[in-house]
Amino acid sequence: MIEKGKIWKFSGVILIVYVIIAGLLIPLKSGIESVEPSYGNAGETLKIQVTGYNTHFKEAGNSLRAWLKWENGKAIAATEMVALDERRMNLTFSIPNNLPENTEVQAVTLLIDSEADGTSVLPSAIFLTQTEKVLAAEEVQWVKPGDFSNNGQITFPFRNILGETIRNTYFHVPLWFGMMFLFLFAVIHSIKYLRKGDAESDLKAEAYTQTGIFYGLLGLITGALWAKNTWGAYWSWDIKQNMTVVALLIYAAYFILRASFEDPEKRARVCAAYGIFAFSTLIPLIYVIPRLTDSLHPGSGGNPAFGSQDLDNTMRMVFYPAVIGFTLFGFWLSSLQFRYLRLQKLREDVD
Amino acid sequence: MKDLHFILLLLRKEFLLEFRTRSAISGIFLYVISTLFVVYETFIKIQPNVWNTLFWIILLFVAVNAMVKSFVQEKGNRVLYYYSLLNPSHVLIAKIVYNTLLLLVLSLLIWGLFIFFGDNPVKDIGLFLLILFLGSFGFSVTFTFLASLVAASNQSSTLLAVLSFPLIIPIILMLVKISAHALRLIQDTAVSGDLAILVAIDLLLCGVALLLFPFIWRD
Repeated sequence: MIEKGKIWKFSGVILIVYVIIAGLLIPLKSGIESVEPSYGNAGETLKIQVTGYNTHFKEAGNSLRAWLKWENGKAIAATEMVALDERRMNLTFSIPNNLPENTEVQAVTLLIDSEADGTSVLPSAIFLTQTEKVLAAEEVQWVKPGDFSNNGQITFPFRNILGETIRNTYFHVPLWFGMMFLFLFAVIHSIKYLRKGDAESDLKAEAYTQTGIFYGLLGLITGALWAKNTWGAYWSWDIKQNMTVVALLIYAAYFILRASFEDPEKRARVCAAYGIFAFSTLIPLIYVIPRLTDSLHPGSGGNPAFGSQDLDNTMRMVFYPAVIGFTLFGFWLSSLQFRYLRLQKLREDVD
Repeated sequence: MKDLHFILLLLRKEFLLEFRTRSAISGIFLYVISTLFVVYETFIKIQPNVWNTLFWIILLFVAVNAMVKSFVQEKGNRVLYYYSLLNPSHVLIAKIVYNTLLLLVLSLLIWGLFIFFGDNPVKDIGLFLLILFLGSFGFSVTFTFLASLVAASNQSSTLLAVLSFPLIIPIILMLVKISAHALRLIQDTAVSGDLAILVAIDLLLCGVALLLFPFIWRD
């Protein structure tokens, strides 16, 4: 039987194992990867080739439907659909002479629906140009896309730039959450030390800070890999990337400070004070400054975390357990590190 | 009222000490002048956006050098004497006020020398004076508190730079951004918001420093 005090450690490990299995094995929803050509003119018969991702165009057969939709809600249905193979399909649209919006170039959304794959959406798929309005307007068959199919499979959403890297949401983001919890606990133990003067609290604060930095480095590495695949470079001088490095520098200085004092009591007191002071600058650094500047991260300019559109229900089923799991695992790592530090100190005392 | 009395007394003590050992303060003034001279010798002509960054970087280094000695004299028997006599918050407040005034004077000196050697790119003088004050206050809070932490170690000046530079980044980013307004490098209506954030950061750090200082001081 598992001891009572160990349940949280085991649940942390179980949650991480669940996150790794579910996060890596659940397939991505079908989506539209690209459209060729991506531009057209009013009044022409537009023939486009669609390349899908995880799609089953052949298998879908007669249940396939496709629309071009304007921002004001008007839409036209495809006049002809030819599936070349499971991932490629030719679509033909007869674009009306008079486009429904007033601008010269209008972006339209491509929607494809089938029983096999459900609905796929590509915003701004095609740019249509209207050079001049035709006075004798023809009868246009406006339709309302609807009656969407649901294939009932459990999938993660398909996002054009992200692709399969969307799975990194379950590792990169929870590591940051975990880091903040670990630093928070380090501060709590620092405060405890200043109030009670208990040497164990000082060691605990050190252990939590060490694992916090470890999580921060992992978060930075997972973020850099993600950035390479989506933004095109490991390091883009994005404000959040920079501020995290600053945050890690602040905590690296904590260890330099620790190393430069001989007297253990003095060291503990100074480091506890520095830890609290450093954590209070972390608040403007991570939560205020990045909001003021443009960032490549989601939710910049107002909202630091994700909006509701970034996570769907399936992702939440993995994301929240990932946050809890990585945090619990971080606490376990810290308690191991604390026991190691305590033994080390005992040995020093004996010597 | 009594608090104010003690703080003013301590402030007077700081001024007297500085005046009696003039070598430290004249060292800092000389540091400022020679830095500015080197800057103009090497740059010759300084563009306003470079001026903006350079000004705050120079002030940052001047502040580290001026503030590292804040607690160095307070050692040994004298601390014991102060400790039996004074409230630690009074000591810290007096030091912060003194260092703010010192930095304000130094930053005006840097600005003046910049004008003397080159020209004055600052268009909105009122705003610039305001952020000189807010910047001096923020630098003073951070450096004074950290100087009290490292005073006991034997390599305090390196340690102070290592500890304070990452911590000062939020303040210096806000300062450079707002002073870009004062130089008319950017047009943005959100200056008052930025100023509010700067004031909030300054006050947050000041509050935390005041809470923590009694623990450091008790030696």
